[in-house]
Amino acid sequence: MTTPTSPTAGSNPAARSRGRTGTGGELYGLFLSILGTRGRIVGLGLLSLISVLVGVVFRAQLDPADQLESWTKFANTFGLSLVAPVVALMFASAALGGPAEDGTLVYLWLRPVSRLRLALAAYAASLTYVAPLVVIPLGVGALLSGAERGAVTGTVASATIAVMTYSGIFLWLGLRTRRSLAWGLAYILIWEGFVAMAGKSAARLAIRAYTRSLLADSSGVDLRLATITPAYAAIVPLVVAVVAVLLTARRLRTTEVT
Amino acid sequence: MAFAGVSKWFGDLVAVSEVSFELWPGVTALLGPNGAGKSTVLRLLAGLTPPSRGQVRVLGRDPRGDVEITRQIGLAPQQEAMFDRLTAYDFVRLAAVLHHLDAPDDATRRAIDLVELGPAASRRIGTFSKGMRQRVKLAQAIVHDPHLVVLDEPLTGLDPRQRLSMIELVARLGQGGRCVIVSSHVLEEVERFGSRILVIAQGRLAAEGDFHAIRNLMDDRPRRFAVRVERANEVGAALVRWGLAVGVQLEGPDRLIVQTREPAAFRRWIAPLTRDLGCRLREVAPLDEDLESVFRYLVEGR
Repeated sequence: MTTPTSPTAGSNPAARSRGRTGTGGELYGLFLSILGTRGRIVGLGLLSLISVLVGVVFRAQLDPADQLESWTKFANTFGLSLVAPVVALMFASAALGGPAEDGTLVYLWLRPVSRLRLALAAYAASLTYVAPLVVIPLGVGALLSGAERGAVTGTVASATIAVMTYSGIFLWLGLRTRRSLAWGLAYILIWEGFVAMAGKSAARLAIRAYTRSLLADSSGVDLRLATITPAYAAIVPLVVAVVAVLLTARRLRTTEVT
Repeated sequence: MAFAGVSKWFGDLVAVSEVSFELWPGVTALLGPNGAGKSTVLRLLAGLTPPSRGQVRVLGRDPRGDVEITRQIGLAPQQEAMFDRLTAYDFVRLAAVLHHLDAPDDATRRAIDLVELGPAASRRIGTFSKGMRQRVKLAQAIVHDPHLVVLDEPLTGLDPRQRLSMIELVARLGQGGRCVIVSSHVLEEVERFGSRILVIAQGRLAAEGDFHAIRNLMDDRPRRFAVRVERANEVGAALVRWGLAVGVQLEGPDRLIVQTREPAAFRRWIAPLTRDLGCRLREVAPLDEDLESVFRYLVEGR
């Protein structure tokens, strides 16, 4: 066996970098590799493709006068309420939650890398999968459905806001609890499902109310409890996403690494 | 590197209790039975978990709250999980990049050469044997040339030749001026790592110091044997009379528990003695040859 080359411990300042470029990219690539399992991509991709199929069916089967309203309601109930949060949950909760659970987080945590950088890399990698899997099929479905341009724009904008926000929330949740999938599904079904429909004030506590309002405003279709103004509907979820990523970084600082 | 009155508990479970010690350049072996608290001590040292009480310092800094001190810490954890989809080279290089090394590829090649991974470095870690995984873990721990190298049971899963190589490498790391702390539950392994050991049992520091002094202390402890023999009371009395036992406990007409400080002499003379007495010896069984009993003795004998 070869002997260590440096005679004294840690005495190799030349080996230390003067810059920190590249760590973000390396982390991003690693998280992409962790998240990019075939089963996850194919399974959730098939779920998302339902939007495309429904768009085709709407165009073929519905009267043009009904296409806008039908698509908008479908995008709200299926795309924004189910596909966006579920796909975000499956990817974002696994980005840091997976390494924390299987013990590989130590290989990232015990490095001189800021916790915010770690959280941002995991968030960016999650979005890299979630956004195309959710936004593109919904956008294509909207186009194929024959709905007006406003509905297409509204679908894409609201889905984009939804995946950005849910990814942030579930990134934090994955690190916060070992049963993130169960808690995440409970959040989607109970909180987002029940609270968002409970009343005008209560609905403001659910992300779904904001994305629904954006969609309704763009398409011109009246959706129940879609009462938030477009500016708030766009800004509040993004603020939630930022706070969630910051909380994730904070959690990384305080978490017990196994 | 210092532990000062460090305790760590998880709910009602006390994993580490009032442990204090210092580390200095060279190899220090952390010896203890499974579940004694070795991994918790190492995790505390690396800052992976905060102490419930007391203070941990690495180069005078708090390893828990100071991200920059991780530049000076290299850890090969006990768990096997790694990023299995990466090649060994990419895994070690990732560590080099995250440590902001100027020439991560050079450092990676050097570390991989040190642990003798060679051509296998281009293979995915998921295809590796346990021994190869140990070497990859060590490579990522030393790629950035840290002051403190923490190795949790690094010999697990290695074959005899790999063990020898690993022990030699650990010794070299210590000779190079690093603080190397290596945990093990196997006494014979620890003997080969270096002369300084910390013995931990039941979460407490049971002994600390030169290996040979502690080994002598371990060897000098009274040993117990269960003896099945005819007319056990007569045999027990004879053992005490001959100085082969310091205590005898009669557990039945044909069963004795013998306590002796001369285990070798006891083993040698028990058969001739019983033959001379005309008693048929059926069984002699050591009761506390396992390492746990050694640790128990060290803890209770303090």
